[in-house]
Amino acid sequence: MATPAPEFLRFTTHKSLAQRLVLSTLTGKPIHISQIRSSSTTNPGLTPHEISFLRLLDSITNGSVMQISYTGTTLTYMPGLITGGAVTGGSGDVVRCALPETCRRGVSWFLLPLCMLAPFSKGPVNVRFEGEGVITSATETGDVCVDTIRTAILPLYEQFGIMGSKLELRVLQRSCAGPSGKGGGGVVELRFGSQVRLPKTLHLNRSPGRVKRIRGVAYCTGVAASGNARMIHAARGVLNPLVSDVHVAAQYDQAPLVSRGDKSDPKAKKRTGIGFGLCLIAESSSEGVIYSADVPAPSSGGVTPEDIGKQCAYQLLDNISQGGCVTRVGAPTVLTLMALGSEDVGRLRLGRDVIGTEDIIGLGRDLKKFGASNWGLRDAEDDGSGDIIVSVKGSAVGNVGRKIA
Amino acid sequence: MASMLGKRKRRTIEISKGDRDESGESDASGLDVQEIFRRHFEAQFKPLPAAQKSLKPVAEESADESEEDSDWEGISDDEENAVQVVEHTEAQARAAAMSKEELKSFMSSKLPKSAPLVSVLRDKAGASIEDDPSEAANLKKDLALQRLLAESHLLDSARSPTLSGNNRHKATDLRLQALGSKTSILKQEKMPMSHRKGIITKNSEKEDRRRREARENGIILEKAKMKKTSEGMRDRGVGAPGVGKFSGGTLKLSKKDISDIEGPQRGTAGRGGRGGGRGRGKRGR
Repeated sequence: MATPAPEFLRFTTHKSLAQRLVLSTLTGKPIHISQIRSSSTTNPGLTPHEISFLRLLDSITNGSVMQISYTGTTLTYMPGLITGGAVTGGSGDVVRCALPETCRRGVSWFLLPLCMLAPFSKGPVNVRFEGEGVITSATETGDVCVDTIRTAILPLYEQFGIMGSKLELRVLQRSCAGPSGKGGGGVVELRFGSQVRLPKTLHLNRSPGRVKRIRGVAYCTGVAASGNARMIHAARGVLNPLVSDVHVAAQYDQAPLVSRGDKSDPKAKKRTGIGFGLCLIAESSSEGVIYSADVPAPSSGGVTPEDIGKQCAYQLLDNISQGGCVTRVGAPTVLTLMALGSEDVGRLRLGRDVIGTEDIIGLGRDLKKFGASNWGLRDAEDDGSGDIIVSVKGSAVGNVGRKIA
Repeated sequence: MASMLGKRKRRTIEISKGDRDESGESDASGLDVQEIFRRHFEAQFKPLPAAQKSLKPVAEESADESEEDSDWEGISDDEENAVQVVEHTEAQARAAAMSKEELKSFMSSKLPKSAPLVSVLRDKAGASIEDDPSEAANLKKDLALQRLLAESHLLDSARSPTLSGNNRHKATDLRLQALGSKTSILKQEKMPMSHRKGIITKNSEKEDRRRREARENGIILEKAKMKKTSEGMRDRGVGAPGVGKFSGGTLKLSKKDISDIEGPQRGTAGRGGRGGGRGRGKRGR
C-alpha cells in the first residue's frame, strides 16, 4: 500500500464509452465506469465491440490496466503511454486487431477514436482490423463507412498540423453488415504515420462557403454491380440541379469469405457481409469544410438502390443545411483535438443543430470533467446563418510520449 | 415514362402549329375576312395575343392520343395558359464518370487531394517557363502547340480524355510516323492465323459496307485501291531447285515445267522452229 489509490473519474452507463476511454488515455487520468447496461436483463455489461476496443487500447498502449467486473457492468481503466504498439517484432509493423463475429458496429466506430489517439502516440500507429466482425460499410447502428473516414474525417487532421501524406487507410477487403447486422469479414488497415507534440490551434470561424463539388463512393459487396449505377443515378437526379460537379465512384467487390464455423468441418467457408450503400462528400469553396452523408442498405434487405441513392442525397443536403464548418460526424474529433492543443483559444464554427446534439454537449461535459476548460459559445454575427462559434481553450496536454524533458 | 410524356407534349404543340399554318393556306376560301386581315397584320407587325383557332386542334389531338395510351390524361384546357416545364432528367442518364486519374487518386488509400493538381511546366532550374521570353522557350512552346494540334483528336474519346495510358501510346505512334516510321508500333506482328484472317475479313467487310452505303446515298468516295495481282514467279529461296518442286526427296515436275524444258515441239512449230530458223540463212544457200 505504498502508492495512494489513484483518483478515479467516475462515470456511469455505456454512453460515449469509447470517447471517454480516449480522453482518459490522452489526459492520463484513470476512470471508473459503472452501471454499464445494468438494467438490461438479456445483455448486461459490455458488448463485444466495446471489449474489442479495450483490447485495441491495450495493444497500442504500454502499461494500461483495465478491470472488468464479473457481470461486465463496471469497468476500471488506468491508462498507460500510447506507444503505437509497433515494437512487436514478428508480425511486421502492424498491430492486428481481430473483431469477433458478434460485432454490430462498423469499423469506423473503432477508427474514429483510434485516429484521435494516434497523433499523440510515441511511434506510428499502424493497426489492421480483421476477423469476422469487420464491417467496412456504414451500418444501421449509425456508423459511417470507411470511405467517409478517409475522405471526410482524416482531412480534418491536416488543419492541426498533421501531415496528410502520412495518413493512409487501406481497405483490403470490403464488407457490409452480415445477416441481422452482425459481422462482416472485411480487412482495413489504418496507417497513421504523423505524430505531433501539440496540435496547432484551429481557427475555423470563417464562413463555410458554398458547396463547389460533390464526390462519393457507391459500393456493392456481393450483390449485382448495377446497383452502383442505380444509386449514383438516383443521387445525381437530386444533386445535379444544385451542383454541376458531381462525381461518384463505383466500387464493386466480392463478398468476403469467412469460416463457416462448424467444428466438424473447420475448412468450410461461407460468404457474408452482402449489401450495398452510398457515401457522399461535399467539398465547400472554403478550405477544409467537408460535409458527408452515408446511407447503407439495411441488412434485412428490401430497399432498392434508387431509394438509397435518393436518401443519401437528401441526407447530404440536410447536413449541408445544418451549416457550420464541421458536420456532426467530424465535430467530436475536431473539438477533442482543439481541447488538447496549446493553451490558446481556437475557434470553430458549428451549426446550431450540430452543437445541439447530445453527443457534442456530452463531449463538452466530459472534457470539463477531464480537466479541460469550458467552451465559450457565441452567435456568428456576420450573416443570418444562425451558426454558433465555439471558442475552445487548449489544455496543452499534447503528446506525453514526445515531451522534451 | 417521363421522357415519353415530354416528347409527346412537344409533338402536340408542333402539330397544333402546323395545323394553324395549314388552315391558313389550304382552305383560305373558308376563312372569314377578319382572319385574312389578322394574318396580314401579323405579317406586318407582331402576332396578336389571342389565338382562338389553335385551341381546337390541340384538344382533338390530345383526345386521339389519350385513346392510344390510357396512362396519359391529355392536355386539359387549363394547361393552355400555364408555362410548360420540360425536365431533361432522363436524357442525362449516362453518369459522367471521374477521369481515370481522379478516380485513382480518390479511391486510393491516401487522403484525396482537396484540389486537383495543376501541372505547371517547369524547366530544370525550377523556374516556371510560362514567363520565359527567350527563343528556346518559344521553340518549346511551339513544339507543344504543334503536338497539341496534331494529337488533340486523341483527347476526344470519352473514355480517356487525358494524354495517358492508351492515348500516350497512340501519340507516340503518331510522332514516330511523322518522323518517317514505315510501320506503326501498335501493329501486332505475331498472332494466330485465324485471328489475322478474322481481322482482315472484318476490315474488308467494313470497307465494303462503307462503299455500299456511300453508293446508296450517292456519295462519291475515293477510288478503291486495286488489289495487286501476283508478280510472276515467286521467290524460290536459296538452294531450291530452279524448276519444279522438291518434296519428299524427289523433284516433282509438273506438265508445264516439262513442256517448258522441252521447249516448243517440232511437229507443231514446223519449220519455223528455233533450231532451224531462217535466221541462219544456211538453207537458202
